[in-house]
Amino acid sequence: MPEPILRVERLTKIYPGGVQALRDVSFEVQRGEFLVIVGLSGSGKSTLLRCINRLVEPTSGRIYVDGVDVTALDPEGLRRLRREIGMIFQQFNLVKRLDVLTNVLCGRLGYVPPVWSLVNYWPPEVRHRALQSLERVGIRDKAYVRADQLSGGQQQRVGIARALMQEPKIILADEPVASLDPATSHSVLRYVEELNRKEGITVLCSLHFLSLARRYGTRAIALREGRIVFDGHPAEIDERRFREIYGEDAVEVEIA
Amino acid sequence: MAVEPHARPVAQRAWEPALGWRSCQRLLLLAITALAFVYGWRVTRIDLGELVTKVGLIRPLVRDLVRPEILERVPVTQTAAASVSLSGPPPEEVPSAGPRLRLSTRAVRMGQRVQVVGEGFGPDRPGELLWEDQSGAQAKLTDLRTDPQGRFSLWIRIPDTIGTTGRILVRVYLPQTTWRPSETLRLVAERMVETVFLALMGTAMGVAFALPLSFLGARNLAHGPVGATVYFATRTVLNILRSIEPLILATVFAVWVGIGPFAGVLALGVHSLASLGKLYSEAIESIDPGPIEAITATGASWLQVVRYAVIPQIVPQFIAFTIYRWDINVRMSTVIGFVGGGGIGFLLQQYINLLLWQRVATAVWAITLVVAAMDYLSARVREKIT
Repeated sequence: MPEPILRVERLTKIYPGGVQALRDVSFEVQRGEFLVIVGLSGSGKSTLLRCINRLVEPTSGRIYVDGVDVTALDPEGLRRLRREIGMIFQQFNLVKRLDVLTNVLCGRLGYVPPVWSLVNYWPPEVRHRALQSLERVGIRDKAYVRADQLSGGQQQRVGIARALMQEPKIILADEPVASLDPATSHSVLRYVEELNRKEGITVLCSLHFLSLARRYGTRAIALREGRIVFDGHPAEIDERRFREIYGEDAVEVEIA
Repeated sequence: MAVEPHARPVAQRAWEPALGWRSCQRLLLLAITALAFVYGWRVTRIDLGELVTKVGLIRPLVRDLVRPEILERVPVTQTAAASVSLSGPPPEEVPSAGPRLRLSTRAVRMGQRVQVVGEGFGPDRPGELLWEDQSGAQAKLTDLRTDPQGRFSLWIRIPDTIGTTGRILVRVYLPQTTWRPSETLRLVAERMVETVFLALMGTAMGVAFALPLSFLGARNLAHGPVGATVYFATRTVLNILRSIEPLILATVFAVWVGIGPFAGVLALGVHSLASLGKLYSEAIESIDPGPIEAITATGASWLQVVRYAVIPQIVPQFIAFTIYRWDINVRMSTVIGFVGGGGIGFLLQQYINLLLWQRVATAVWAITLVVAAMDYLSARVREKIT
């Protein structure tokens, strides 16, 4: 078995208020997987994703990305790690007052010389790459529009283009379609899927809808109260397992 | 010693006296408030009757306030001059049209009597002859009156003087008068310009220091123990500075760098930096954390995060706060002169002390106009950016 791209060992996170978000979570992710993370709101999905690039500091446990212990990195090492991990967010998290192109260019901040970036100078090849990224998500024509002028689906595609600029090994997607309508959800996830299939980028994606998990995931893990309660193929989540994950009263809602 | 055998139910015990105590509390509060107002009335010597009985004292002030010294009436004058030499050959005569002077001789000695003949002036008008020495100092020689033909002829003695040349000047007052801006207006305008620039420099100084400080004083940008320490230190310094009134700051700086506009700039600058630092920091704290998280996740450094996730979000608010501060500073700069901070206030205070109410009126009107104009301007700018 090859070295997994991501190995999480006994990860625990307790927030300062005492909320225990993750309890002793361990799993491995192989290169090229599309791992879907499901679970109720508050089950620890966001915390888990944010621990991987240390936007949230783990309380205990270890995380290895490509064999490197993330939890032991110094600030400089952490920046190098982060630039290889793309991230997309439920609220897109674009800088609304900047134009789309600059938002995409921001994905390259970890690579360009710091002084250039502070005066908003971007080398031509970086600008070219940014336009190509926009091309890939089908909104090349929106490059010079302010980000807040775009629809939700378009904004999320800008988010994907920004992540793409990082040439990431891993993409962390935190509820990327939870703010979008069903049709737009599919179009956004198809772009993520394409990156996973064609570029071989490993994807960790938290989703609310099991139907989306079954459609896009090559594997799923389910969290409940900070613990992994399921790890397998999304298709294996049947009625019984569903109740284990979401509680006895839950009823599955389909998304077309 | 009697022990109460059966305590009443706790809830009842707690409730019943509470009702009475509450209304008692209210009455007490009312009494204290009333006492405070009675004492306040006495200690501040409020006497509404004085507003009526002493109305005579304010009358000249009010009357003069509506008659500011803006223009002054001056008579139209006719002038002419002739140069003389006290050593050597006489200077060449420059022929001129209109009013002119002729002298019996133009090579003169001190004490020599010279006839001065003037022509082409207004008929039957008063005037005066002046001596101007080589350094330009003037001294009156004599009064004169022109004849019905607009001429005059009189003998004068060349006064004791310095230099080797001199000029004899004549000034004849015509019956017409003309208006010109008053000396007060000129002074007030000069000081008003100083005031506006005093506000500008003070604001600029405040902004220049508040900008970097605000990032250190924003909680959402403070990471780790070092960040937290810097945050608390910055906020504490800003709070202390902000609690000092600009007028007191101006007094201190007037002692330090001397009375004048620079003291005012420093006072306004320090106060602006403290208050803008707080406003800016709070603007930074209220931004959407999403983009910060997203940019951080790309592997950007702290400076890059500030540049791309923070600054774009705060620019409109920063501009609004800066204009707001500029407004305050324009107002403040008009009074900062009272304590030695330069600007119009310095002049206004002098006029007030000398009871020159018409000049006070000129300054007050100038302040009103300029402040209103700045208000309007900043309102327009604010409209544009939001």
